[in-house]
Amino acid sequence: MAVYKKTYRPYEGPLTASWSRFLVIRRYAFEDLRRSRFLTIFYLASFIYPLICALIIWVEHNASALKLLNLEQASRLIGVDAGFYMTLLGWQSMMALFLAAFIGPGLVSPDLTNNALSLYLSRPFSRTEYVVGKLAVLLTLLSLMTWVPGLLLYALQSYLEGWDWAAAHTRIASGTFLGAGIWILLIALLALALSAWVKWKPAAGALLFGIFFVASGFGGAINAVQDTKWGYLLNVSNLVGTVWVQLFEGDDPTNNGAVFFRQAPGSVIPVWLCWAALLVLCLACLYMLSRKIRGAEVVR
Amino acid sequence: MSNRLITFGEVSRFYGEVLGINRVNLAIPPGITSLVGPNGSGKTTLMNLMTGLIRPTRGDIRVLGVRPDEPEKLGPLIGYCAQFDNFPKGLTGYQFLYSFLRIRGMNDAECEERTRTALATVNLAEAAQRPVAAYSKGMRQRIKLAQAIAHDPQIVVLDEPLNGLDPMARAETIELFQEWGGKGRHVIVSSHILHEVDRISDQVILLSHGYVVAEGQIQGVRSEVKDQPMQILIRCDQPNALAARLFLQDHVVEAKIHPDGKGILLRTTDADQFYLMLNRIVLETGMEVESVAPADDDVNSVYQYLIGGEGGTT
Repeated sequence: MAVYKKTYRPYEGPLTASWSRFLVIRRYAFEDLRRSRFLTIFYLASFIYPLICALIIWVEHNASALKLLNLEQASRLIGVDAGFYMTLLGWQSMMALFLAAFIGPGLVSPDLTNNALSLYLSRPFSRTEYVVGKLAVLLTLLSLMTWVPGLLLYALQSYLEGWDWAAAHTRIASGTFLGAGIWILLIALLALALSAWVKWKPAAGALLFGIFFVASGFGGAINAVQDTKWGYLLNVSNLVGTVWVQLFEGDDPTNNGAVFFRQAPGSVIPVWLCWAALLVLCLACLYMLSRKIRGAEVVR
Repeated sequence: MSNRLITFGEVSRFYGEVLGINRVNLAIPPGITSLVGPNGSGKTTLMNLMTGLIRPTRGDIRVLGVRPDEPEKLGPLIGYCAQFDNFPKGLTGYQFLYSFLRIRGMNDAECEERTRTALATVNLAEAAQRPVAAYSKGMRQRIKLAQAIAHDPQIVVLDEPLNGLDPMARAETIELFQEWGGKGRHVIVSSHILHEVDRISDQVILLSHGYVVAEGQIQGVRSEVKDQPMQILIRCDQPNALAARLFLQDHVVEAKIHPDGKGILLRTTDADQFYLMLNRIVLETGMEVESVAPADDDVNSVYQYLIGGEGGTT
């Protein structure tokens, strides 16, 4: 056997925490997105509605402004309550869905097309970390569109109205955070799963919309033909809306859903079933990802 | 000792009902080891197994004593260069190397230094800020090699690294392999370019249909192939006389005068007997022998004898 002189220099210094390495994936993903002028404009435009809401809250607490605008009764017209925040969340969530449909399909499919997964997975980097890294890209962007402005507006309202108001409306804060969290996690998982299975990006984006709109239409058809309400289980926005109502208003709601997730009369299905259906959908996405995110493509 | 080897113990890997590799037993020492075999013989499966990208259906693999399903321990030891171009979209050469070093957990300064060193090693320093997508085939192959060695691994696994390289780039790349092998690394290379494999390999592993057909130093493998007469080229000043003497021997199967009339190409079933006899002939006749060299103890010949005719290989 040959005798070799070992002269290479393996790295023996400190390593970053393994849990934090998924953040490397975000680093260049954001840079890639920043290059798209359309996405940048769309993203900035998504903050218009929260700014309008902030203006409404400010005006409502500014007597001279109300008087100047001859809107002394405005506070009765626009109540800053759970409905106000659910409407904000509903609008922002719709914007988030559009953004996910634009960005999501480009996150996983290029890596699969370019066989880049072996690059990640031949390093001390697991499939879970890869998925979490890709999810982090979407979750960061979508968080800034949804629960972050929602909580900022809650803080603004609390500041102007008094901390008693904040204490009495903690459900608004928790509902905003959890409600938005469920929504963005769901659409991020759906976007990644579709990106993993559908390599043509426009098709993957269209499918994401299809899941929300075509499936709800299909569910509606089932309801009409079978004279039942269980078709609403296919209506993802209906499921989320029901969960939101519970999060914002508890078990005794006065609202039947946010603007974009309004439920038709008689369509109410048990909240636990909505949670279960959303959980199944998330698990299905994870299963789809686990089937595709592999170090080596298996060709049978 | 086993901590310096890559070992496969009765390893099999099936893709559903399709065989990847079956009952493979190997102990790969440091140096350049070439995996040779036709398409579908199991080369890439073997590489994917040792890099932990896939798990064996059964059997045990140890890479310098580490199990491939322990990525935190295995990752620092291995650098892998896949067969196909595998670049995340939109990155420059520098970003590509840097980000994949960060995934290994190195800090910013270390990653920057190693990125620059790796780029210089493969002569891509000037193209560092260009998108990888704009690189030529040879440049892409080199940046792939750079990412495999940027963290200074003990094992470099290279799947078809010479594919698509022009002769100049190929020579430079082979030089890199030899340099890495010379530093005591395990350099595992799969290649279809057999004459190149022959030049660089310390040992070869021949695969066919998922089985290891032969392994070891190529001359040793050749001497084990008893059913194929050994070919020996003798350059001398009296080829006709030599041929006449040789034909009297039972172990000589064929003796052909070289086209330039200054040698014989001999096929014999007993090379040791031939060498003894050649000494006698030289002493008795006084003929001048310029050189005696085996003509078929290269990878290409062994490949033809053991696997031959299965296609897919040049």
